Amino acid sequence: MRGRFGFLAAAIAMLFGGGVPARGDETCLSPYMPKITGQEDWVYVWTLGVEGLGDGSDKLVTVGANPKDPATYGKVVSSTSVGGRHEAHHGDFTEDRRFLWLGGLDDSLVWVFDVASDPARPKLVKTITTFTQDSGGVVGPHTFDAIPGRMLITGLSNAKDRGGRTGLVEYNNDGKFVRTTWLPDGAEYGYDARVQPRLNRMLTSSFTGWNNYMTPLPKLLADPEAMKRFGNTMVVWDFHARKPIQTLQVPGAPLEIRWALGPRHNYAFTTTALTSKIWLVEQQPDGRFAATAVADVGDPAKAPLPVDVSLSADDRFLFVDTFMDGTCRVYDVSDPHHPSLVHEQRIGRQVNMVSESWDGERVYFTSSLLSGWDKTGEDDEQFLKAYGWDGQRLTPRFAVDFAKEKLGRPHIMRFGQGQFYRNQLYASAR
Amino acid sequence: MTRALLLASAVFAAVAAAHERARPEDPTFGVGPFAPEYTPPAPGTYALPVIATVGDHPLLDSDGRPTTLFAVKGDRLAVVAFVYTTCTEPNGCPLSFAVLHRLDRDLAADPALASRVRLLAVSFDPERDTPARMAIVRRFHAPRSDWRFLTTRDETTLGPLLADFGQPVAKLRDADGAWTGLFRHVLKVFLLDERNAVRNVYSTGLLDPALVLNDLRTLARR
Repeated sequence: MRGRFGFLAAAIAMLFGGGVPARGDETCLSPYMPKITGQEDWVYVWTLGVEGLGDGSDKLVTVGANPKDPATYGKVVSSTSVGGRHEAHHGDFTEDRRFLWLGGLDDSLVWVFDVASDPARPKLVKTITTFTQDSGGVVGPHTFDAIPGRMLITGLSNAKDRGGRTGLVEYNNDGKFVRTTWLPDGAEYGYDARVQPRLNRMLTSSFTGWNNYMTPLPKLLADPEAMKRFGNTMVVWDFHARKPIQTLQVPGAPLEIRWALGPRHNYAFTTTALTSKIWLVEQQPDGRFAATAVADVGDPAKAPLPVDVSLSADDRFLFVDTFMDGTCRVYDVSDPHHPSLVHEQRIGRQVNMVSESWDGERVYFTSSLLSGWDKTGEDDEQFLKAYGWDGQRLTPRFAVDFAKEKLGRPHIMRFGQGQFYRNQLYASAR
Repeated sequence: MTRALLLASAVFAAVAAAHERARPEDPTFGVGPFAPEYTPPAPGTYALPVIATVGDHPLLDSDGRPTTLFAVKGDRLAVVAFVYTTCTEPNGCPLSFAVLHRLDRDLAADPALASRVRLLAVSFDPERDTPARMAIVRRFHAPRSDWRFLTTRDETTLGPLLADFGQPVAKLRDADGAWTGLFRHVLKVFLLDERNAVRNVYSTGLLDPALVLNDLRTLARR
């Protein structure tokens, strides 16, 4: 398989002079959501089903993460299948953390799990089967970003041509459709959406449509026309008005967006999958934004394929996962214009998502990118791995082998904690 | 909101809270501080789609009279804030009260808009926030617009109201199960139109009086 991925790297490098996606963590949650600032009890892992492995279905897997409970620490506590394979990908809590919404990129289904009633055993309470119909043609529910009273969901594609033109879709917390806002002309691709409430600004990034993300990677890379159909833009929005106000050129599929959290830190980071760069998107003195490439991730010529990133709560460290070499690189971004590589750790043969605890002491990784893009053969490792971070190096804590446990391909992670849900004055299942 | 009033509001909350038991283990949840650094979009230049609708619920007014949400609100636009008066979380109820106070003063300066709006502070602590206590809070704020201070008879009538609005509230208890006198809640303030449809929900990070005022003006233009 090494030959295959050598070819991939060369093909990407050739096409873009220089890859592809995913996300998740406590520091990147919606700014409207309460954060778990202490020890998480559970890691919820949205997992793609693999044919012939266990029940073969997409499922939400709950793994114990609190070392004070040795009976569950590092072990699978519960697993709930949604039935079938839908390209399970991303998801997030509602703004009150009571419900976890999860999306399927292939058939655009959305599942809502109640995590408040029994946080160790989330329960499927609703399935939205009309996402594309409700939204007027948006396909591929990707980022779920909670805003008060509702869920903002970015699309990756559309029902008309299954290309990259897409929109932002809002549902209320009960699962009722509220509205769709299409990405503007000239910047019609979508991926992530993140809000900086202090500035009333939202940033969106851009990936590719269903035709590409559902195509096996080797086939896609062999199709130069298809490889042209990736997003090269980010959009700055007036968030409250949901109006695009500026398009930024960020070539090579800018994916995850992380706003800095500190006061007066009026900037965000992203990485470009196809060109292997860290980009700084910063507000200028005139109020407008500028996007600048501030560092290479690994050797762009080898197309390491930066995927998920995580910015620490103190805006100091940026964790960048690269899928192809299975490596996490940690940059000191205290000076956001000059990221400095401080640590490099190989996590596995492939790695995708990185999720960091609010206190920055624990970092979790999962392995799967997309079902058709994951490596094959012995390189197709599927895991959740937990590490400690002391500001200098990552130290392994526990690992769950998702293939051995017959679970599937683990993707996005979210943290849960029992204390948060105790003693509620009402027990509504909205 | 003047600095003096913010301070007075904080002192009021702190004095009230001093009578309560100390916090249990430090709550491990936080939301970031919020200081708006933008000019909100102009009224009428953006849409506020219907997010949800709410039903009617029994309440008590600050004179102790039984009433209901719809009876108090009437056919006006309303800003509904769920609060408890002993809350000490700076980004929680004190922020809600501060914003309501600012809105009250701004509405007083715009009688045409004020005639179409009611501000409702609804307590989710029926045990301590009695009508008499709500009346004291009312006197403290000395409303200049139509600002009502409401509570409920008990948790039995409160529960369905909170569930309908989607306002989670939890009693913070000690390890021995005793209530600390504090609540954990996600700050939410609701903008209702004349037909009791929710047109916006504000929490920390959105609860900016200038933004709420422009939203009210946007709805009032119809």
